[in-house]
Amino acid sequence: MTQTPSDPFAEPPSSPVLRTLRRAVAAAPPFAAGAWVTALLAVLGSAALLSGPLVVQQVIDRHLVGAGSVGAIDVAAVLRLGALAGVVGLAGAAANRRAVERMLVATAQGTGVLRVRALDRLHRLALLQLQAERRGALVSRVTGDVDVITSFMGWGGIGFLVGLVRVTAAITAVAVVRWQVAVALVPLLLGYAFVLTQSQRVLERAHDRVRARVSASLGAVGEVVAGLPTLRVHGAEARAQRRVETTVEAQRVAEVRVSALGAVLFSSAELFAAGLTIAALVTGVLLGPEATTVGELVAVLFLVTLLLDPVQTMVETLNEAQSAMAGLRRVLALLDVAPEIGEDATALPQDGPLGVEVRGLSFAYSPEAPVLDEVTVTIAPRSHVAVVGETGSGKTTFVKLLARLLPTPDGTVELGGVPLEQVADATLRGRVAFVPQEVFLFDTSVAENLRYGRPDATDEQLRQVVRDLDLEGWVAGLADGLDTQVGERGGRLSAGERQLVALARAALATPDLLLLDEATSAVDPDLEVRLRHAIDLLGSERTVVTVAHRLATAEAADTVLVFAEGRLVQHGSHTALLTQDGPYARLHADWAAVTTS
Amino acid sequence: MSAVHDVPTSLPPVQRAVADDAERGHLDNIAPGDVARDGVRHLARLIRLRPLAVAIAIVGSIAFVAGVLVTSLVIGGLTDDLLIPVLGQGEPRGPRLTDAVLAVLGVGVWRAVGITVRRTSASWAQVTVLADIRRRLVEHQLGLSLRWYATQRVGDLLAVNDAHVKLATQVLGPLPFAVGAVLLTTGSMALVLSLDVLLGVTVVAILLLAVTGELVAAWATFSAFDLEQHRKSVVSRVAHESIDGAQTVAALGARDHEVRRFAAVVARSRDAEVLVGKRWSWFRATMEVLPSLIIVPVIVVGALRVSAGALSVGDLVTASYLLSLLTIPLAIIGFLVWDTAHSLTGWRRLAAVLDADDRMPSGVDETGGTDPAAVAASGVGFAYVQDEPAVLHGLDLQLHPGTTVGLVGATGSGKSTLISLLARLWDPGEGDIRIDGRDLRGMQDDARTSQVALVGQDAFVFDDTVRGNVLLGHEATDDEVWAALAIAEADGFVRALPDGLDHLLGERGTSLSGGQRQRVALARALVRRPRLLLLDDATSALDPSVEASILRRLRDADAPSTVLLVATRPASVALCDQIVLLGAGTVQATGTHAELLRTEPAYARLLQAYERERAARGTGGQR
Repeated sequence: MTQTPSDPFAEPPSSPVLRTLRRAVAAAPPFAAGAWVTALLAVLGSAALLSGPLVVQQVIDRHLVGAGSVGAIDVAAVLRLGALAGVVGLAGAAANRRAVERMLVATAQGTGVLRVRALDRLHRLALLQLQAERRGALVSRVTGDVDVITSFMGWGGIGFLVGLVRVTAAITAVAVVRWQVAVALVPLLLGYAFVLTQSQRVLERAHDRVRARVSASLGAVGEVVAGLPTLRVHGAEARAQRRVETTVEAQRVAEVRVSALGAVLFSSAELFAAGLTIAALVTGVLLGPEATTVGELVAVLFLVTLLLDPVQTMVETLNEAQSAMAGLRRVLALLDVAPEIGEDATALPQDGPLGVEVRGLSFAYSPEAPVLDEVTVTIAPRSHVAVVGETGSGKTTFVKLLARLLPTPDGTVELGGVPLEQVADATLRGRVAFVPQEVFLFDTSVAENLRYGRPDATDEQLRQVVRDLDLEGWVAGLADGLDTQVGERGGRLSAGERQLVALARAALATPDLLLLDEATSAVDPDLEVRLRHAIDLLGSERTVVTVAHRLATAEAADTVLVFAEGRLVQHGSHTALLTQDGPYARLHADWAAVTTS
Repeated sequence: MSAVHDVPTSLPPVQRAVADDAERGHLDNIAPGDVARDGVRHLARLIRLRPLAVAIAIVGSIAFVAGVLVTSLVIGGLTDDLLIPVLGQGEPRGPRLTDAVLAVLGVGVWRAVGITVRRTSASWAQVTVLADIRRRLVEHQLGLSLRWYATQRVGDLLAVNDAHVKLATQVLGPLPFAVGAVLLTTGSMALVLSLDVLLGVTVVAILLLAVTGELVAAWATFSAFDLEQHRKSVVSRVAHESIDGAQTVAALGARDHEVRRFAAVVARSRDAEVLVGKRWSWFRATMEVLPSLIIVPVIVVGALRVSAGALSVGDLVTASYLLSLLTIPLAIIGFLVWDTAHSLTGWRRLAAVLDADDRMPSGVDETGGTDPAAVAASGVGFAYVQDEPAVLHGLDLQLHPGTTVGLVGATGSGKSTLISLLARLWDPGEGDIRIDGRDLRGMQDDARTSQVALVGQDAFVFDDTVRGNVLLGHEATDDEVWAALAIAEADGFVRALPDGLDHLLGERGTSLSGGQRQRVALARALVRRPRLLLLDDATSALDPSVEASILRRLRDADAPSTVLLVATRPASVALCDQIVLLGAGTVQATGTHAELLRTEPAYARLLQAYERERAARGTGGQR
């Protein structure tokens, strides 16, 4: 399998439509299920609809004009002809309907698979951890980009296919009736197709402008919805309103422009139809009575009318078709990104606390700004390690790398003797828990959030972990105890309370290596000390690595790692480090000064 | 590297899409009668917003329709005056052909102009009404209380401001054409009736059948569509949540769980999509097929009438041609019904926001001032949600002008709630809060926000320059902005930015670190020179020494404020003149740090936790 990592944020380059479709089918086979039957039904159905104009031609030629005198019409033959056309037409209608249905069902199945695969892949991108702020843009790969495919298939897609069939069928029918007329029509059709593709470029640019304006105005509205407390506090509502008005107006102007262009393009189909009619008339009349009949020419005029509808539909949906293809390309581009989180199933060797061996670890979020530089350290199993340093010293990056939450760094990290990148993800997550400073909770109850740590946990196990962490008092104060709903992103809890849930969630998972990144920064000092004691008790059989700017953690740890500007500058026990002349002594002095009453 | 892993290539089989109980509540208000009535009202409401543009579009549409009618006359005329004489009877074509070509061309231009006028003005009306409503929505939302916001999901609100507004106005697109289509259909019927009564009656009967079929199919599709929309919004919500929490999902190894959870909601949405597909196929087939087939009975009946001598061949061609032109107009009538019902669902979601009237009315008292404020809260009680346990109750508090007061309390004791009440983000359920003796609720909004500033834990940064973010509409010189940044210790990194004060911070300020965002938010409060400054753990992302130095500068500023800050560290507390100890939703004690240490065991427990631990380790050794 040759997959090259690429930037999933970048707009994928345009590729031939057929290739894109083939890739879509490869990614989501239901798209193509029974596609030939669907296409056949659509072709038959559309062709059958031509029975209307053909019957007109037959009736006029054979029974009206050809009959010579009024009253000599073969009524039975006209009725038979009508009945035949009716039956063929209805059968065609049924085939058409079935084709539409099959196409939409296949689309629903295919896009469903595509959505799930895209989300699965998103969760396998370590990159996602890197650029938290751009996650929103990627979510659209699972939602909006797929929706445009669905809506195109429902509205334009089938229309496009049916339109194509009808144009071909109508031209063929014209050719069958009188080939010379068809020959006269073809240059017009080609010329118009050329005009359409050219104008499409202009339209596409206008659409790009609309898209940019839409995203700006949505951004402005998003700030109102998400930043309201800040606007309220500073009385800045009027400013926000002005900003929204400016961007909404810019969007309106761009949209007016695009629709005016669209209107002109759409109306050009009328002139095109007039051109076709004239071409048919002139050709027919020039051929003269020796070569053609009234009925034939009337039928041709009807067939030309039948061309107008599909051509207008296609003009209308051309842009929609382009957005759908672009959406499809974006989803497929995401699936092309190689997952950085591998699945090489090397199991960790033993149960029990895990030691970590770090050698020459370097990491940079961008080439010009290295965050970690050649860090080498050994963390013994069962040891409790504190990681300290000033803001921006690289300590958070260090523990995130131990938790394999960032793209693969330079250097090696071995977990229990196994290179970290070789550990199977399921194994790794079962043995290593990471608790971040900014806690994310799911919009459900406290209990369900805890179960993210261990899906099969019983109610008793939940209560036990609450007891172990000495949080019974806090839970008792919640409106519904463990069944309390936490709201979107846990918004109904305070920042400190969210941290409590995250800690309990990690404790429930009973990891062999526990990584805490400022996990109690928003909790009051008394509770923090009690939590740390509880973790120490729980963790006597675990390895615990804690990042903290409250140095009380370092005082209680076996080993302290001191980071400065991305390097590990000191390393030892609290008491040993205090006696050294280095940053730790200074950090600790600052800390002691602010915590002593 | 082996990147092959189990990926889902199929979803569970399609189930019959049935709304569950929760969804049924959502779909309850769908009844054909209601939709018809509300739909008409909705159309009237939209037209009233931009009547002129809609009227112009209708005129354009009528011009187009007239062009279509004339086309059929021209084609009929061509048959009688050109084709039959020339091809049937061998007469010379001569000037007849030129006339015919000019007639066809003229009608084509006429129709093209009509379409351009109709489409341009209809879309102008549509996008302009869209913009009108969006502005109105945002204005309305800006006035609603946080109590109301607390009941909403951010994603749902964004959808209302985007997708649902679009949905609510999209009916304006087909409306003018539909009016024209009704005229065209009526005109066609009248024309055919005038040619021959029997043929006319046939046509009327068939058209009525077509429109009825469309209405039935549109209705059936619409109710399925509403279910699909609802389920799609769930898909979107789960996707957003899952990706928002990607780090947590990865760290907990919950990826497979998340993919399963997502696959389940996708399958439900897929089932609804399939249902829509089935019904939509009927709708489409009805729209496309009926007009093509109408011609069959017409030609049969017409032939009989011609044979009876009641109709000329040319008239029959006119009638047939006319009906073949009805394909699009008939479809448009179907679309109008569909779009109206559709728009209505969007409008109902907008209306829920526009009808919300939970606002915090501004007071009228515009009294300002520059001296530090005196604050008094008495008997304050508050709950975020009615009937839930109160977060605060019977709370009394006094802040003397110019003092720095520390707010100390355990996690979840109500510190943030109290702070947000003092900034009037919420109004207390009981009791009152006064600044210099004036009730907060009586103060005019601008007067209040210029005197009281709050800086929270989560610093919200707007997609604007540093200056724009600090000022947020407030007026101050660059010197004053720099001075505020200096107190917040933000001047250093702002100076280092490529464009200084003019540097664009990007959406949500993502180019800054958490600590930098907090300092910008702090400067934003300081530049306003508030008389009361409320700091809710506003320095949580900063190193202790930076925090201490900011607090010291605040105290030493030349225009001091009354400051209330949530304090957790003894050093911050040491900088306070007075401490308020919060516990169980009310004030437990007030006093200086030394007094509270002596008299309040709970206070000592909170503030001396680290020292106690240190002492314990000193005597008891390592853990």
